[in-house]
Amino acid sequence: MGLFRWSQSRSLWMMHFCTGCGAVEMPPTMTSRYDMERFGIIPMATPRQADILLITGYLTVKTLKRVVRSYEQMADPKYVIGFGSCTINGGMYWDSYNTIKQLDLYIPVDLYIAGCMPRPDSIIDAFVKLREMIAKGEANGWIRYRENLEWYRANQAKVFNVEKWSAIEP
Amino acid sequence: MNGEMEILEKVKRAFGDRIETAPKRERQAEIRVPLELLHPLIGYLKAQGFGHLATISCVDWIEEGEFELVYHLWSYERRFHLLVKTRIDRENPTVETIIPIFRIAETYERELHEMFGIDFPGNPNLTPFLLEDWDGPPPMRRDFDTRKYVEEKYGMVDLTKELWERQEPILEGENGED
Repeated sequence: MGLFRWSQSRSLWMMHFCTGCGAVEMPPTMTSRYDMERFGIIPMATPRQADILLITGYLTVKTLKRVVRSYEQMADPKYVIGFGSCTINGGMYWDSYNTIKQLDLYIPVDLYIAGCMPRPDSIIDAFVKLREMIAKGEANGWIRYRENLEWYRANQAKVFNVEKWSAIEP
Repeated sequence: MNGEMEILEKVKRAFGDRIETAPKRERQAEIRVPLELLHPLIGYLKAQGFGHLATISCVDWIEEGEFELVYHLWSYERRFHLLVKTRIDRENPTVETIIPIFRIAETYERELHEMFGIDFPGNPNLTPFLLEDWDGPPPMRRDFDTRKYVEEKYGMVDLTKELWERQEPILEGENGED
């Protein structure tokens, strides 16, 4: 198990799903200036091949729906990083009518990066922390999501303004 | 100022006393027009070279019970910005669409329909735009209580507490090990 986790933590593919303004911090992180590939992390275009979902900034209700759908398409194990103040308490959108305030009510978050915006250094720092968490078996948001699916579904349905919501639509 | 302002005199000659014109600053002027003259005026201005409808904005004059629609027109030949303003009733806000004159107005009117609840008869596409699954009143109206809506829908986050001091989400089951 230990070896299995260790190897998982050494090869993380990050889904290219940028929301909000935090996305501007990703290009320097990915490219030669900070070069996150040193840590085995590369951007990946599709959710089905990705391990990390990085929520970069505020989420409108409309985007949240797409995020949940993408998150559920990712294969286990999968990890979510909440990026910036907006995912923690709404940040500067704390009283905005159309953005969610606390990301972990809707999808399980393994790690938060505080700041507005966090610099690439902090992002790299978070990736290293996530790597340690995975190796120790502490990053188990995906298990939390599976075990408490109804609780998450109820929260999602509340902001999507429906009785019952499912990521799979007919 | 002089050469640019001749468009205002021209408009005044064509439409008479029912409209008011006023220069605002260099390369910018406003025209106040009653609703029934809005479409002829915009059509006329387009023929005069104001071929770019930059946007349509709206001001909520809640104390006077009116919305003010502002059509922003730009002329590339004259390099001149005209604000065509018209007032409409706030209780029953209805303006005939200007799609036949400016095709782009479809999107602007769609947004105003969503944000202010203004109806544009003749616009075929007044469907939800940015606000998916919206259940409240139009949010840009001044009587919309943003804070109350946020508290009810998302739950206000207690900013005086740090993340780890807040109540944890109530979850069932083990925080499982594999």
